[in-house]
Amino acid sequence: MTSICFYFQVHQPVRLNRFNIFSGNTSYFDEVKNSHIFEKVSNKCYIPTNKLLLNLIDEYKNKFKIAFSLTGVFIEQCQKYTPDVIESFKQLASTGNVEFLSETYYHSLAALFSQKEFEEQIKLHKNLINDLFGQKPKVFRNTEAMYSNSMAKIIENLGYKGIITEGHEKILSWRSPNYLYKPVGCENLVALLRNYKLSDDIGFRFSAKWWEEYPLTADKYSAWLSKCEGDCINLFIDYETFGEHQWQDTGIFEFLKHLPFETLKYNNLNFKTPSEVVKSYKPVGVVDVPNILSWADVDRDTSAWLENEMQRFAFEQMVKLEEKIKQNPELLKIWRLLQTSDHFYYMCTKWFADGDVHKYFNAYDSPYDAFINYMNVLQDIKNRLGV
Amino acid sequence: MLGWEFPPAKTGGLGTHCFELVKNLGSKSVNVILLIPKRSQNVKHNIPNVEIEEVGSVPIMPYNSTRESTVTFEKGYGWNFFKEVDIFNKKCVEYALKKKFDLIHCHDWITINAGIELKKRTGKPLVVTIHSTEYDRTANIYPLNEIVEIEKRGIQEADTVITVSKHMKQQLIERYGADEKKIRVIYNGINVSKYFGLTKKERKNIVLFLGRLSNQKGPYFFLHTAKKVLERKNDVTFVVAGQGDKLAELIKLSIDLGIGDHVLFTGYLTEEEINYAYAMADVYVMPSVAEPYGITALEAIASGTPVILSKNAGVAEEIKHCFKIDFWDTYEMANKILGILDYPVLGECMRKNSYSEIKNFGWERTANQTIEAYRSLL
Repeated sequence: MTSICFYFQVHQPVRLNRFNIFSGNTSYFDEVKNSHIFEKVSNKCYIPTNKLLLNLIDEYKNKFKIAFSLTGVFIEQCQKYTPDVIESFKQLASTGNVEFLSETYYHSLAALFSQKEFEEQIKLHKNLINDLFGQKPKVFRNTEAMYSNSMAKIIENLGYKGIITEGHEKILSWRSPNYLYKPVGCENLVALLRNYKLSDDIGFRFSAKWWEEYPLTADKYSAWLSKCEGDCINLFIDYETFGEHQWQDTGIFEFLKHLPFETLKYNNLNFKTPSEVVKSYKPVGVVDVPNILSWADVDRDTSAWLENEMQRFAFEQMVKLEEKIKQNPELLKIWRLLQTSDHFYYMCTKWFADGDVHKYFNAYDSPYDAFINYMNVLQDIKNRLGV
Repeated sequence: MLGWEFPPAKTGGLGTHCFELVKNLGSKSVNVILLIPKRSQNVKHNIPNVEIEEVGSVPIMPYNSTRESTVTFEKGYGWNFFKEVDIFNKKCVEYALKKKFDLIHCHDWITINAGIELKKRTGKPLVVTIHSTEYDRTANIYPLNEIVEIEKRGIQEADTVITVSKHMKQQLIERYGADEKKIRVIYNGINVSKYFGLTKKERKNIVLFLGRLSNQKGPYFFLHTAKKVLERKNDVTFVVAGQGDKLAELIKLSIDLGIGDHVLFTGYLTEEEINYAYAMADVYVMPSVAEPYGITALEAIASGTPVILSKNAGVAEEIKHCFKIDFWDTYEMANKILGILDYPVLGECMRKNSYSEIKNFGWERTANQTIEAYRSLL
């Protein structure tokens, strides 16, 4: 039996205002833009997809299961702008077939600079998930699936049973991602590795006309799944794939709607949540990841956020404030919002000239605009802190 | 080919364009006869396959000549200027009719009449490159109808119109009723090896403006921006390089704004001095009201200097690693200048990335695309 393990990442950053140093008392965050984007994505993705998934879970009872990871910044904005969407997530939780994962509250890069801050944010998030959905998460995923041996150790010590990362050749070489692996040096934690090929078939290639497999249908995809060897096929996808990255007219909702039926036609396939996968299977080997791995772009490392001089400088300047800012509860929250990885991603110059996906997700005209804006906000905070 | 400016006598991109174009056409075995007005200094060159002929009676310098106070008609242009242009065009026709050629290529309004006449007399195809229109040069302030009419006629009579940007193409369609199908966009280029490149430089907090001191180039916005920057940061020098009819007014403005001691007016600079100015600056600012292309931005980048460009500049269509601003938004311009001055990592990133962007912007590219345009007419 091979288990299909779906997990959807749900995140919206809190975008900064255009903070010109001459603009005076502007607020740091762009309420108008954030609410506008949030409502747009809710209508295109969150509302219809939640509804569809709820119907599918109803229809297939305990045979169709999924998992979500909702960032704290997503939840906060959701409560503010589209509270109905939170209700529908609660409904999904109450079916008993939906698992909620753990991550850093602020979709942050905290793991890269402070274990203390990292753990505090995990705790904040865990409490929020427990309050909202009555679940105590057992599986952790770090921002953009960042992972290393030492991060795995921290997560094990916090009592988690599973951790999610990318199933890349970098760490697997010839081995298959369709099994559980044991992080080196851990005893009670297993790693679930994303099958990036099959995940990206949905997330990136679904509507790509250049793709030889276009158009992708649920029966074709299920046939691929049934032919896979292994214990679990981890399909980890950005939730916004449904209706936002892949628009409704690509047929993405039809695909999702028929997928459980087509998949369950095969006797060798079932659906399991990440925690169930952890309980059901044994690790077949060890993964050793001394350098940080992630699922971001082709490089699968931290270079989308911390490659160029601007990104590293902005990050260092933000990090430096940790000690001082923790004595100032009012500014602490703002500082944490500035840790969200998206702010650094906007400063990425790697692919800028190519105008590809980075551009689509960028809130600024250029990485340089992103940098100045971030630094202006940070400087204002420094002034208020008296640094 | 009928040209106008030619190095060393030049006041703008047209001169650089003509020189680099004929040089690169020549090296690709295209035989060019270039007719230009008489110079005060003779043009020295030995470009293979290129014959340069100076025609006309007296040297003509269009944009720098001081206006005779009694002549209000020929605004901004010198005494007798239109008459000289007319004589130049007639001599061009006279000269060209004695020569053999397959195609006529002229640049801007100043050579258009000769181009049209030659086409009529020989039946050869006519290519017109528009580097800037009368509306651009005057920043929309009292454009001369006579010139606009010549431009219109040239665009209409041409078999192919070359523009230096998409923005310019749009302007010709909207303002001049040009036929979209015969317009080709061919960007200007840069000879990177002539500049200092990415050599490490000492930071001196120098902000550079370089260009003709006219409304078109936006020097007023530059000074108002300077004022805002200086309110926040005291140790900054603003260099205004170039000459033009607004010099006196600009000097007065800098004094009125109380920033006279932070603004340096250089007057005329030689090519060598210009290269040093680019390399010394920490940031190059081009706040042009109208800028069909803006070769100076490429020159600054080739000198390892980050650039802030007016959004509507043609060059902004090509360069990604730069700041693009509205020329009137002096707060945003000041914000960006301060960003570059306060955070060295920003300028470092930008200058490196923009430098690698212009690697493929050689004049060879311009010449190849021009040859393509010729071929489609022969």
